[in-house]
Amino acid sequence: MSSDIPLRFILAIVIIGLGAAAYWLVNHRLLMRAKHNIFTLFKKLPNKPVIVYFTTPDCVPCKTVQRPALDKVRTLLGEKLQVIEIDAFERPDLAKRWGVMSVPTTFLLDARGEARYVNNGVARAEKLIEQIQAL
Amino acid sequence: MTSQTLQKVDHSALKTNQIMIISLNILAFILNLPVLAAFVALVMGIGSALKVPGFGIVYKNLLKPRGWMKPDVLDDNPEPHRFSQILGFVFMSAGSLALFLGATALGWGLVWLVVALAALNAFGGFCVGCAVYYWLARFQLRGFTKQPPAGTFPGMKPRAGARV
Repeated sequence: MSSDIPLRFILAIVIIGLGAAAYWLVNHRLLMRAKHNIFTLFKKLPNKPVIVYFTTPDCVPCKTVQRPALDKVRTLLGEKLQVIEIDAFERPDLAKRWGVMSVPTTFLLDARGEARYVNNGVARAEKLIEQIQAL
Repeated sequence: MTSQTLQKVDHSALKTNQIMIISLNILAFILNLPVLAAFVALVMGIGSALKVPGFGIVYKNLLKPRGWMKPDVLDDNPEPHRFSQILGFVFMSAGSLALFLGATALGWGLVWLVVALAALNAFGGFCVGCAVYYWLARFQLRGFTKQPPAGTFPGMKPRAGARV
């Protein structure tokens, strides 16, 4: 056992911290991009929470998991929520501007049009509902 | 997606295994104990041979009986999880070997890679080894026959009540 345990401990904390920070930074960057590009989707804010859902026609998890989850959320919340679906193949400009790296990606915007959450990959209905309730 | 028979897989046992791997590997790094990393590799190897999560014994004999961790039994394929553990075992063995041979950067790099993948599985619900298994199954590679449970993205943790 070496005497540099405190140093190695700090290094381990730094590595773990860097991993967490990288994850946070990627998400933060996406939220900032969404914030700056909100008016690429709306002329006027809808004054209710919005889910912006990026998908592609050949995306299997979009069909099997994400769409049913969004349908469930839509059924539960009805008119209190707006879901905007964007085909990233048809609108590569939007996918690029919003910084979408993979599909499905869902952004949750609050009633003021502020992007508050981003889910890279599939997000279950329960998670989406939790995020909407926290807006 | 074709119909297939899923089995009951206790994801709490898998999570315990992942958390033990993460904890012991970080401890091995902090204490600069390659032998501890080699121990993790050994347990993963034994688990792979017995087709059980290596550190599942901690869950089975300690956490579950005392109610410290509740079972999370889902309809799932156990094979991808076993494959994932074998992959982890290979990386851990290579990492341990590198450490014993003096290639410390490579050795600890491989150990941290296993930590990162186990953390992604334990906290993000995404099993990279399982995703690799399902990817190989798509190419109909011999021995890789299972498909993800219906409605589950390859590598993601199945939902409770996944269809068979």
